[in-house]
Amino acid sequence: MIKLDKTTKKALIDLFQKKGIGLEGNIIKMVDHDGDEDFQKYLTECKQKDIELRKKRLDVTKQVQEKNNELLKLNEENQKIMENLQNSLKETEEQRIKIEAQNGELILWKDENEKIQVDLQDAMAKAEQARIEAESAKENAENDLDLLQKRTQSELISTIVKVALWVIIGVGITTTAMYGIALISKQDTQIIGSTWSNMFGILLTNAFSIVGTIMGIKYATENKESQN
Amino acid sequence: MIDSILLVDDENLFHLVFEDACSLLDISLSLKSVNSADNAENMFKKWFNDNTPNEKPECVFVDLNIIGSSFDGIELIRRINFQYGNHVVIGIISSSNEPEEQTKALQAGAQFWIIKSDDIEPRLEEFRKDYEGYKNRTAPFKVYK
Repeated sequence: MIKLDKTTKKALIDLFQKKGIGLEGNIIKMVDHDGDEDFQKYLTECKQKDIELRKKRLDVTKQVQEKNNELLKLNEENQKIMENLQNSLKETEEQRIKIEAQNGELILWKDENEKIQVDLQDAMAKAEQARIEAESAKENAENDLDLLQKRTQSELISTIVKVALWVIIGVGITTTAMYGIALISKQDTQIIGSTWSNMFGILLTNAFSIVGTIMGIKYATENKESQN
Repeated sequence: MIDSILLVDDENLFHLVFEDACSLLDISLSLKSVNSADNAENMFKKWFNDNTPNEKPECVFVDLNIIGSSFDGIELIRRINFQYGNHVVIGIISSSNEPEEQTKALQAGAQFWIIKSDDIEPRLEEFRKDYEGYKNRTAPFKVYK
């Protein structure tokens, strides 16, 4: 413990009474009043003042500390929020890149599809053209066939006509020759004459009948063609 | 009353709180505060190398996680106890209340664990009552909640 002389004690007490300046802190605990009642009272007052001051400072410091802790917590929360935000942004950016890549692929697919569509349209146009050509060829072939049939028919008719005419001419000539020989040789011409007459009549009738038939067929064929 | 105290804590505001609380409770007359475990270790290293054990504080309060230090409070306690001659009452003052950490602190030679909170005075008062037991090494490890 520290012991002070009377003069110092008095000076300290005077300073406290006049200007309110006293000893502070733990030094008060180290000073011995040495039985001096006035100095003991002075030390008690100084101690009381120091306790009040320290209490006040402790309260303020605690409040500051509390605020500081709250701020630290808020800062931590902010940092967490920022981290979450950054993670979200990162994820969004990754999603964006992924979507862009998918869009790129889709555009490529679209282009390919458009190309395929154009090719298909070309192919369809070619197929349509081919169909038209095939129909045209078919029509031509049918026409050719029809023509061929007609030609064949005409040729057949012509042959028939020729043969029939030749037969008629042949029979006519033969019958006429036989009738002529019978007349020249003065043979009985009754039978041959009537036969010639009948034969000639039949031949002429058949000849006209053939011609008529041919003309009829030809007319009928021409009508059918015009109808088609 | 404790002759001298050393507080190792990175939080300067807590230095003021602790100093005022100790003064109001008449726990100690002399209190020194440092804000890093490295500084505290250097002090103990010097006292140990200079062979000046009287300059050592009587009691050391160490924070568990001291920001800006190369090691934590438990490691500081271990070094003080096992490398620099011990002879101090030493313990943790931290806001943490992890039993695992408390076990580690006990193994490192800590004698007490004070939970740091806004209302530190009742714990310090309780600690003051138990202090003699820590000084003569008879009190068991205790957590002040």
